Amino acid sequence: MVQHKSITSLKQGETGTIIGYGSDSIPIKVYEMGLLPGVVLTMKRLLPFNGPVCVRIKDNPNAIALRRSEADLILIESLSI
Amino acid sequence: MTEMKIALVGNPNVGKSTLFNRLTGLRQKAGNYPGVTVEKKTGSFTFKHTKYQLTDLPGAYGIHPSSLDEEAVYAVLIDETHPNHPEMVVVIGDPFNLKRSVLFYQQIREMGLPAIFVVNMIDEAERAGLVIDTDKLEKLLSTKVVLTDARSGKGIEELKVALAAKHMHYEPIFQVPEEYGEAVAEAKTLLEMDNNYRAWLYLSQKHSNHLSAVYSNGIEEIKNTHQINRHSLQIRETMDRYAAIDMAFNGLMKDSSKEQASFTDKLDRFLTHPFWGYVTFFTLLLLIFQAIYTWSGPFMDGIENGFAWLATSAGELLPDGPINGLITDGIITGIGGIVIFIPQIAILFIFISLMEESGYMSRVVYLMDRWLRPFGLSGKSAVPLMSGAACAIPAVMSARTIENDKERLITILVTPFMTCSARLPIYIIIIGLIIPESQFLGFELQGWVLFGMYVLGLLAALGSAWLLKLLMKTNYKSFLIMEMPTYKYPVVRNVLLNVWDKTMGFVLGAGKIILAISIILWVLGSFGIGERFTNAEEIVRMENPALHGKDFENEVQSQRLEYSFLGVMGRSIEPLIEPLGYDWKMGIGLIASFAAREVFVSTMAIVYSLGDSDDELTIRSRMAGEINQNIGRPAYNFASGISLLLFYAFAMQCMSTIAIVRKETNSWKWTFIQLAFMTGFAYFAALLAYQLLK
Repeated sequence: MVQHKSITSLKQGETGTIIGYGSDSIPIKVYEMGLLPGVVLTMKRLLPFNGPVCVRIKDNPNAIALRRSEADLILIESLSI
Repeated sequence: MTEMKIALVGNPNVGKSTLFNRLTGLRQKAGNYPGVTVEKKTGSFTFKHTKYQLTDLPGAYGIHPSSLDEEAVYAVLIDETHPNHPEMVVVIGDPFNLKRSVLFYQQIREMGLPAIFVVNMIDEAERAGLVIDTDKLEKLLSTKVVLTDARSGKGIEELKVALAAKHMHYEPIFQVPEEYGEAVAEAKTLLEMDNNYRAWLYLSQKHSNHLSAVYSNGIEEIKNTHQINRHSLQIRETMDRYAAIDMAFNGLMKDSSKEQASFTDKLDRFLTHPFWGYVTFFTLLLLIFQAIYTWSGPFMDGIENGFAWLATSAGELLPDGPINGLITDGIITGIGGIVIFIPQIAILFIFISLMEESGYMSRVVYLMDRWLRPFGLSGKSAVPLMSGAACAIPAVMSARTIENDKERLITILVTPFMTCSARLPIYIIIIGLIIPESQFLGFELQGWVLFGMYVLGLLAALGSAWLLKLLMKTNYKSFLIMEMPTYKYPVVRNVLLNVWDKTMGFVLGAGKIILAISIILWVLGSFGIGERFTNAEEIVRMENPALHGKDFENEVQSQRLEYSFLGVMGRSIEPLIEPLGYDWKMGIGLIASFAAREVFVSTMAIVYSLGDSDDELTIRSRMAGEINQNIGRPAYNFASGISLLLFYAFAMQCMSTIAIVRKETNSWKWTFIQLAFMTGFAYFAALLAYQLLK
């Protein structure tokens, strides 16, 4: 079953695949950074008090930091359930 | 000999600046946090009878700009009349983000620019088990591919050879989608060109500043008739390109790296931890300030004594007269006042460049975003704010990486509140004079007070940011999307060069102003008109017949100063500054400080040595012995000292910062508001403090 959840529903250490976006007005930077449909990513860190999240794309040593407001718009299918 | 213009282009954190240093030998900064190469850097080198003019463009993720930095990249590449428009582009790719780099490469190629492709950090990639099929990549990109490791210098010679290689034919990958075909055709007719992609780019940008009004209005018209949403164009292009690259990459890279907890992961578990991350960051800050204070001590004492000796020897060697006075009291004293602060500035820059080089700075951005957002700032404002602790000028410039206009403007307006290194001389002297030498919680009390001054600057910056956020409206959505690179061992050479550049830049830049002001001050302080200046000796003898020898000489000197041009200036602003606890001599220091605040100490040194016949005293002991004639107490007592500290903490006293703010905001209005607000706030804070404490 495909669940339309966003990146922020992942817990630390969990992995998911991007399946789409919740809005058309996502900054071009999200695409340029390679956060594209089909990409597998792992949640590295969720800072408390609604702070930014830090994800890592599979096979890429560099991480990407995003505010929750952007992360909420990137929809995923969870792999680790 | 032929010449060739080349531009270096690439994503941030790919080692572009290090490669640039390798090629040109021209010294500049290479770092790990977004926006180190905010300035346009140029350099040149000669290889096999060709002189290559290099431009190091700011790091960008693609051709479509989302910050001022990236706009600069787009402008240089699209505008054929731009003075830095390259004849060839070197695209520097990151082996771990090869697809992203290839996307950028293809955009550049399809604009009609010849380019070669470099894969940098190849050593790191090989260690991680990444193997790139160079032949396949060359075929895909229709160009020469060079593998380099800029840190060790590997592949640099091959790159130089490749620059002269013949350009291969390139077939565009990106096809204009059918629904936009008409609009693109119209744009091509309008601009009289046959490049589809360039037309597409014009349609997908916010503005095309370099085009003449006729053309740019024409483009707007086409956008309107076809109801083109430039954002959808950019997204469509990026998605299409990635899809094509994904297909083409099949079998191009072999990745045998295992998903194991890397060094970076282990460090980040601690350094970005919601509790320990912050503890580490703030401990590090406290450590830096303690280091500035304690490590610099012995160096400062040495420099101070050295200059006192120099002034004495020069005074003895040179014949008596005005030249002697100008050199000893004016030039040597003035220069001594700036050289003495080199140790602190160097120590501060060592820490800042270590943080940039290692990749820790982007973690600071990540940690601080949540806490800066309520003040109308972004996590990226942390970089200008922290650099502001060194110097507001590069700090204001580094705000260019902030995508949102409002956040960027607020950052620029509040950054000068941060305690820059030019404030350090004043803080250190004043704190040394009014705060006793004792221990508090295991650290020097004076160090705590200095730390407090930094906190105060930060609070002023955040408070005014919050105010500005309430007052300003914005239509732009704010976001933070940032890469956090792996941790790297700092390249010692890069750190040292950076520290050297920054320190010398500060000393020479400030030194020029200080030298000029020192000479002007000495002239104004040594000459005057009126009876009491020209006949000072007789008047003193008449008024104080009991004075003899040294006391008599001192009295004459101080009366001369009081009635010199300089004294008249100081006394004319005395009514304004008396409520703050300052006398007319300190008033002279304040007047001089409006050009640059760091001249305060050297100015006071000149003022006090002019009013004194003893040349052997150090600046510190002169200031300690100075008596404020209005109140009959030491000029630097607790109340006036605190008042001075507050004034210098808040006032906008730096011509160069005013100039750079004007340039970066492109607005006299905001520049003036900033100047008036900071200086007014400083006056009232100092007034309040003195009146409460006196």
